[in-house]
Amino acid sequence: MKKTVRCPDVLNHICEELDTKLTTAQCRELKRHLAKCPNCTAYLDSLKTTIRLYSLAPVKHPSPKARKQLFAILKLKA
Amino acid sequence: MTPHLSEHELIRKAQKGDERAFTQLIKRYETLVYSFAYKVCRDSDKASETWQDTFVNVYRKLHQFDGRSKFTTWLYSIVTNNCRMKRRQRKLDLASVSIESATGLHDQPKTDEEGHTIQTIPSWRETPLDSVMDKELRGVLDEAIQKLPYDYRVVFVLRDIEGLSAEEAGKILKLSVPAVKSRLRRARVFLRERLNPYMTA
Repeated sequence: MKKTVRCPDVLNHICEELDTKLTTAQCRELKRHLAKCPNCTAYLDSLKTTIRLYSLAPVKHPSPKARKQLFAILKLKA
Repeated sequence: MTPHLSEHELIRKAQKGDERAFTQLIKRYETLVYSFAYKVCRDSDKASETWQDTFVNVYRKLHQFDGRSKFTTWLYSIVTNNCRMKRRQRKLDLASVSIESATGLHDQPKTDEEGHTIQTIPSWRETPLDSVMDKELRGVLDEAIQKLPYDYRVVFVLRDIEGLSAEEAGKILKLSVPAVKSRLRRARVFLRERLNPYMTA
């Protein structure tokens, strides 16, 4: 008998493999589930948004004071 | 001047004691190191100290770098070691937060009369890029990742923000690939659950 894909199984798999293409046999089964399950689709989309929001955080730079201190510690010319 | 040297040439010169090459090496990687330290430490002062300690370590240990791994992988390893040591010294890390969280996904979801699954997990609202700079959302994001325990936060930052592979992250953190994947899954779920009330309000 074919094993039914359950939402928690889908969650466990897609949470780990968000960045890989769903191409294996098991993944094709997950894709079929996703296509008809609005809950897993909403969850997957929200996980992707979570990652996107964090990856958009502004880039931080060291302060001039910290840089000056570092070059002084290493006795290097800035 | 050494601005146009390749990474390999720059490292080789710096290993031979060329101070201008080492200065150039710092300039080339200072933002990567500081930015990563800040994302993991979540504190400007700690990030600055970690940033300085990292380049002091690089200066002292550069002769040990054999080029078998990427230079950036080596840098990430030094940063994570320094962050970990700071946590031990200061003992200021937040109380451990339970990572086990309800996801709202069930074995047997509700269905309508025709057997179609009823959506019980609300979709998140659209988030235009500009709103990421929004103070309120930034506060929610900062608070959530601050509460994420360090061991999970560092995996999330390496994999999802810095874009390293599970193998590279495992090498840096001395973890197996399955352990990296497990921590990443939990970190993603943890953060998602904390953003959920804001994103569905």
